[in-house]
Amino acid sequence: MNEKRYAIVLDTKKCINCKACTVACRAENHVPHEEGAYRIWVTALELQGKFPDLHQDYEPSQCQHCQNTPCESVCPTRATYKSPEGVVLVDYDKCILCKACMTACPYNARFVHEHHKAIDKCTFCYHRLPEGREPACVETCPTKVRVFGDLNDPNSQVSKLLDTNRYYRLKEDRNTNPRLYYIIK
Amino acid sequence: MSTHVEKTGNSLIQINPSKAPIPFIIIGLILLAIGGYATLQVLFKGHEAVYGVTREVPWGLLISTYAYFVITSTGLAFIGGLGHAFGFEKYSKVSKRIVVMAFVILLAGFTQIGMEIGHPIRLMIYMILSPNLSAPIVWMGVFYGIELVILAIELYLVFKPNQTAKDHETAKVVGFFALLVGVFATSNLGYVFGSLNARPFYHGVYFSTFLVISGITAGAALLMVIHNIIYGWNIPEKLNGTMNALGKIMGMGIALMAFLYLWKILSSIYTQPGDAYLSAMALIKGPLSKNFWIGELGLAVVIPFLIIAFTKARNTRALGVAGIIFMIGLFFTRYDFIVAGQLPPMRKALEGSGVEAVNGLVQYSPSAGEWMIFALGWGLFLFLYFMAEKFLNLETEEHH
Amino acid sequence: MSFTRLKLSRRKFLAASGVTLAAASMAGGLSSIKAVANDEAKGKLGELGRKFVPSSCAMCVNKCGLIAEVVNGKIRKLNPNPKFFKSRAMLCARGNAGVEEPYNPDRLKAPLLRVGKRGEGQFKEISWDEAFKIVAKNLDEIKRKYENRSAVAFYSTEGFQEEFFHFLVQSYGSANTVRHPTLCLSSVIQGWSSVFGTYPDADLTQAEFVIMLGANRGEALVTPDSIDFQKNRPKGQKIVYLDPRFTVTASKADKWYPVKPGTDLAFILAVTNVIVEEGLYDKEFVDKFTFGFDKLKEHIKPYTPEWAEKECEISASEIRWTAHEFAKYAPRSLVYPGRRTSWYVNDVYLRRACAILTAIVGSFDVPGGIVPKSSIPLAKHDPIFPFFDMSKGRLDVSFKGIKELLPEDERTAAGLPTDSCTFLGEKDGSWLAFREAALRGEPYPIKAIIAYKQNLVESAPNREKTLKLFEQMDFICTIEIQMSETAWYSDLVLPESTYLERWDPCHSLSGIWPIVTFRQPVIEPLFNTKSMHEIAAGIVNEMLKIPSLWDDADSADVEDFKATLVEEILNKPTEEFVKYQLSKYPGAFDQIKKEGVFYLSDKPVYGKMRKEGTRFKTKSGKIELYNLKYEEKGLDPLPVYRRPSQPEPGKYRFILGRHAWNTHAGTQNNEYLHMIQKENSLWINTKEAIRLGIKSGDYVKVKSKVGEQIVKAYVTEKIRPDCVFYAHGFGRISKGLSLVYKKGASQAAILEDKIEPISGNAAMHETFVEIKKA
Ligand SMILES: Nc1nc2c(c(=O)[nH]1)N[C@H]1C(S)=C(S)[C@@H](COP(=O)(O)OP(=O)(O)OC[C@H]3O[C@@H](n4cnc5c(=O)[nH]c(N)nc54)[C@H](O)[C@@H]3O)O[C@H]1N2
Ligand SMILES: Nc1nc2c(c(=O)[nH]1)N[C@H]1C(S)=C(S)[C@@H](COP(=O)(O)OP(=O)(O)OC[C@H]3O[C@@H](n4cnc5c(=O)[nH]c(N)nc54)[C@H](O)[C@@H]3O)O[C@H]1N2
Ligand code: SF4
Ligand code: SF4
Ligand code: SF4
Ligand code: SF4
Ligand code: SF4
Ligand SMILES: [Mo]
Repeated sequence: MNEKRYAIVLDTKKCINCKACTVACRAENHVPHEEGAYRIWVTALELQGKFPDLHQDYEPSQCQHCQNTPCESVCPTRATYKSPEGVVLVDYDKCILCKACMTACPYNARFVHEHHKAIDKCTFCYHRLPEGREPACVETCPTKVRVFGDLNDPNSQVSKLLDTNRYYRLKEDRNTNPRLYYIIK
Repeated sequence: MSTHVEKTGNSLIQINPSKAPIPFIIIGLILLAIGGYATLQVLFKGHEAVYGVTREVPWGLLISTYAYFVITSTGLAFIGGLGHAFGFEKYSKVSKRIVVMAFVILLAGFTQIGMEIGHPIRLMIYMILSPNLSAPIVWMGVFYGIELVILAIELYLVFKPNQTAKDHETAKVVGFFALLVGVFATSNLGYVFGSLNARPFYHGVYFSTFLVISGITAGAALLMVIHNIIYGWNIPEKLNGTMNALGKIMGMGIALMAFLYLWKILSSIYTQPGDAYLSAMALIKGPLSKNFWIGELGLAVVIPFLIIAFTKARNTRALGVAGIIFMIGLFFTRYDFIVAGQLPPMRKALEGSGVEAVNGLVQYSPSAGEWMIFALGWGLFLFLYFMAEKFLNLETEEHH
Repeated sequence: MSFTRLKLSRRKFLAASGVTLAAASMAGGLSSIKAVANDEAKGKLGELGRKFVPSSCAMCVNKCGLIAEVVNGKIRKLNPNPKFFKSRAMLCARGNAGVEEPYNPDRLKAPLLRVGKRGEGQFKEISWDEAFKIVAKNLDEIKRKYENRSAVAFYSTEGFQEEFFHFLVQSYGSANTVRHPTLCLSSVIQGWSSVFGTYPDADLTQAEFVIMLGANRGEALVTPDSIDFQKNRPKGQKIVYLDPRFTVTASKADKWYPVKPGTDLAFILAVTNVIVEEGLYDKEFVDKFTFGFDKLKEHIKPYTPEWAEKECEISASEIRWTAHEFAKYAPRSLVYPGRRTSWYVNDVYLRRACAILTAIVGSFDVPGGIVPKSSIPLAKHDPIFPFFDMSKGRLDVSFKGIKELLPEDERTAAGLPTDSCTFLGEKDGSWLAFREAALRGEPYPIKAIIAYKQNLVESAPNREKTLKLFEQMDFICTIEIQMSETAWYSDLVLPESTYLERWDPCHSLSGIWPIVTFRQPVIEPLFNTKSMHEIAAGIVNEMLKIPSLWDDADSADVEDFKATLVEEILNKPTEEFVKYQLSKYPGAFDQIKKEGVFYLSDKPVYGKMRKEGTRFKTKSGKIELYNLKYEEKGLDPLPVYRRPSQPEPGKYRFILGRHAWNTHAGTQNNEYLHMIQKENSLWINTKEAIRLGIKSGDYVKVKSKVGEQIVKAYVTEKIRPDCVFYAHGFGRISKGLSLVYKKGASQAAILEDKIEPISGNAAMHETFVEIKKA
């Protein structure tokens, strides 16, 4: 097992909903300034309680890089594919914009990129990785909610975080085996 | 007014003196012009600017219309196949019309998917270069491609002058394949939806069966409508048997559809509070409820079924009326199903999620552009079909 | 972490986000850049290749370290500088959005001269030569006509180039510079300095107990505090947060007290009361370093938790709990000083009380406590400016009319002086006192405004009044990067190059972790823009051609001035200036160019003022719990609680604040940020909304004594029922800001111009509004 397995681990308790990650992603990946065009989002979860006993959490998310990959299996041209490290990617040149993958994705992670005329979504900033650079959203996050790394490396920060913390993943019932892990604290 | 057709038999081109097709040709042309305008808009401004589909509801009116057309086409091919392959006399009496209609309506369906898909040409290239065999859309391409070819062959055969016995044999075989591929194509189309992890409302074998049956029902209905139009609501006696048989198919089809639908809705309701439940509720008392109760239930089930039952499928005019009503209703059935499945949001519509919802459901309504592409499909169908009626001989000879 | 061994997948991959140059340049043609003439955006040198250039962010005051990725002369992305530890290796949303600033289609592209009526927005492009001549000519005419150079007011907000702006001011000789602190933090500086002689920082990385009064660090980002308060939060640290709104900070705090607006002082006094009465203070520290404890002890007696509960609506038991915890964790406990404190007319007393509370538990200059800032000294030019006979003293020093800027029930209250500001900053002035004096022409008229990097119209309360002031001007010139409201109402608009296109002087960012930062151009300036340095040089050189501008100065002085300022600084490139600033430290210039940062140590500095014999910058040389200067000036030497004015029934207090994704009224027209928030909305408590029949999304009219605005309602439990709020920066009246023109509502339009008379700070939470469905 020397193949890498990339993942992002999030400690959302630290998230301040500053949206730096969303802007970094938009800039890094030239996501158009259009309604509905975004690879990453930060949700303010429901306000809990009544004034003055209030609680609120924030939940950043993006494509889950599912290892059981609903979007990949319905893609007719193999425009959607998995890299050897398990990163789910889209080849713009092969995408026919049938939108089956959008309809199949349980996380609403995909959108039509108007300039590329193809489906777009989070790539874990795959183009940055060979240069040893972290994904833009991870790098810029002020409070370091997000940690990116290789699950196959027991010494990576992601492995350690998952070893020492309980975590959940989104919509486990969909059986998608996501690579975004949310730490429970 | 009865259509007077010279019994010159086999000549391909033959001007039909009836004026019945002319208004439809004109309407077809107008719709084509509207659709052409929209097509240019799409080419210049892009899909996003012209269509109302969104990130949350990626499939809307065009996919619904596509399904409506192509499933009707395969239903027609099925009926035609019954005539050819199994020698059901009643259907072979109208086999030319069936083949032409199936072919033209398939083309109409292709306009919808062609305008919906961002890169239709690429689809053809990469379906060959790197097809993903587990993706139902690939099979959809394959089956409908084959269906088109088969229908083309059938067209050739039915219009071939001086038919030989061998031609009849070939027609039988081809007809059989048309039927078979039609069933595959339609049930696979069901799987195009059923394979979507995110949309539990589409899941289950029910949908494919439902589509096949509804396609045949639609084929029967359409045949009755068109014949009424062509014969000025006065279908010649010799076709009474055929019409009666079609009427029965339709009646049975509707009953089966209603049965399957009932269970679909009930089983969805029992998934509460899951997404299938939300979809069902969107139909029953949500944003699609008018469509559902009036369109799907009233127009596609109750009224045509009652008409058929009361007339015992004998009054051809009544069958024509039932056919029209059913075809309108069926459109709601297609549209509602596809849209309802996508209304439950994949993420809650909370601040910052980017998702907007009303009463817990995302929203979709077709844009003007989509309606215009819808018109394109109808325009193509009406124009081509009635041109064929006007300029080709669609009367089928008695087989010897 | 290293990903370098990863090979790009065999598959052809993502055309646009690839690292190859071809791919990146194609991507450059996308979205945000589309509206800019492509030739311009390509970079003037036609430069090819990819490079990483360190510099610092200017999207807000924090100046975080950035590294720009530049491809073929175009900025591809701004990334955080991992070595820049003051910003903890991050860039916020605005910092990332900075990538659009040079390419923003609405940016100013050439000098503009007004041709229509003022405010009509009709301009024509002129050359820089013409522009400089126009400024010099107007300065000369005003000087001759009014025989007073101070008739020209120079407004500015902090920024690296502000130094050059002030060189321009001094070259002309007006005493009237009006800076942003009296719209922002002058009262907190005054309050803390009145106790410690300095405005210190808070060591959040080691504090165990923190009281924060509406310092919304989760949204109003201040580095490194905003990051430390989550990322580097020590295990077990407790944060008590007071704010009438449930902000992000509240959501992270251990306790959120929805304090009744304007009554924080009651809470702090009561906490102090418990600590004093129960003897929980640090006796040794108090004895050794402070002055006036006995007086405090007497003074604090009536301020019991039971008394305070009635004022601030925080229960006595919670107040007691806070006091006990605060004392328990001391000296690792602190009251966070805060920043924008332009709140109430008695703000200085509140800040004083916070400092006093911190002082008595000895949480000063220790890890986890309040720590005086350290800084890295830079070499300073000392140019000689002429002394001009026609320069009169500051307008606001002698202005006696600020009584009218106090609420009626505060005008006679003891301890609040009612004639002029007590501690007026020589360079900053008092924004509101100044405007009031200028409007009345007392004691002399103001006839021109030159504004640099400050948007007077939106940043100061009571927009009507600012516009009225503009009407009285013979000449208004604004140096901007976009068509702010101030630019829109100007006669001449000078486009500055953005922070990514220019050299900026070094700044020593003082704090617990002092660090030196600077700016170098990451791309060549686009369009016909210049830096403030070049603009100052251009104007001063034109001024030198007009003899009447120099006839009230000593000619020898003028010669020295030419040599030391014009030749030595203005006519040289900024790069030289930066080199000189760093000349004390060999190798520093190269290091800062390469790494974007220079520092002497990355360790915090503690304890330098805890040494025996330290003299604090107060009258007594001690930490003044009892302030002697205040006593002298007839102010309360110890903080006295006075109940703030209250809204009439049916009205609400309007309070201010910001979100993390915009800076003041400066960044809303940036598309990246616009994508996050398109307009602001009025926070109103659910109960009140139901009473008024208002639902979320309804438009409502918000009406104060000075103006009204229409804005969408946001019905929420996240705000007290007695106040309402909407964010700053929307409801814009400049058509040159195409994304936000008339979107949402402006704060400046409805805020009354009340003043805190000790520091001269604006009191922006003293406005009451009516809410009606629109
Ligand atoms: N994102 C972002 N960050 C910024 C800036 C920006 O524009 N945008 N600006 C920077 C600048 S210049 C400054 S000065 C700082 C300002 O940062 P802060 O000093 O935190 O000031 P505000 O953001 O105005 O937040 C004031 C808070 O006080 C609350 N408040 C109102 N009235 C009362 C009261 O009576 N008592 C209490 N306890 N709280 C009250 C308000 O609800 C609001 O949440 O932020 C800096 N950081
Ligand atoms: N209503 C209301 N008023 C407030 C506040 C509030 O929260 N609400 N906050 C107060 C506070 S804390 C502060 S600090 C002040 C800030 O007051 P201002 O300094 O006026 O703040 P901004 O609105 O950011 O305006 C800065 C202007 O500088 C321009 N600018 C940006 N970069 C450059 C540059 O490189 N060169 C030049 N020449 N111009 C540039 C921007 O385009 C913008 O128009 O506002 C105060 N006023
Ligand atoms: S950058 Fe980090 S803290 Fe900010 S919203 Fe994203 S995840 Fe949350
Ligand atoms: S989150 Fe959606 S897009 Fe991403 S891998 Fe899973 S199914 Fe595919
Ligand atoms: S839209 Fe593109 S990526 Fe998605 S399934 Fe179709 S071809 Fe594949
Ligand atoms: S990993 Fe890259 S592509 Fe994915 S959300 Fe983060 S910045 Fe965007
Ligand atoms: S806090 Fe954000 S906007 Fe301010 S300097 Fe830092 S990165 Fe720039
Ligand atoms: Mo400020």
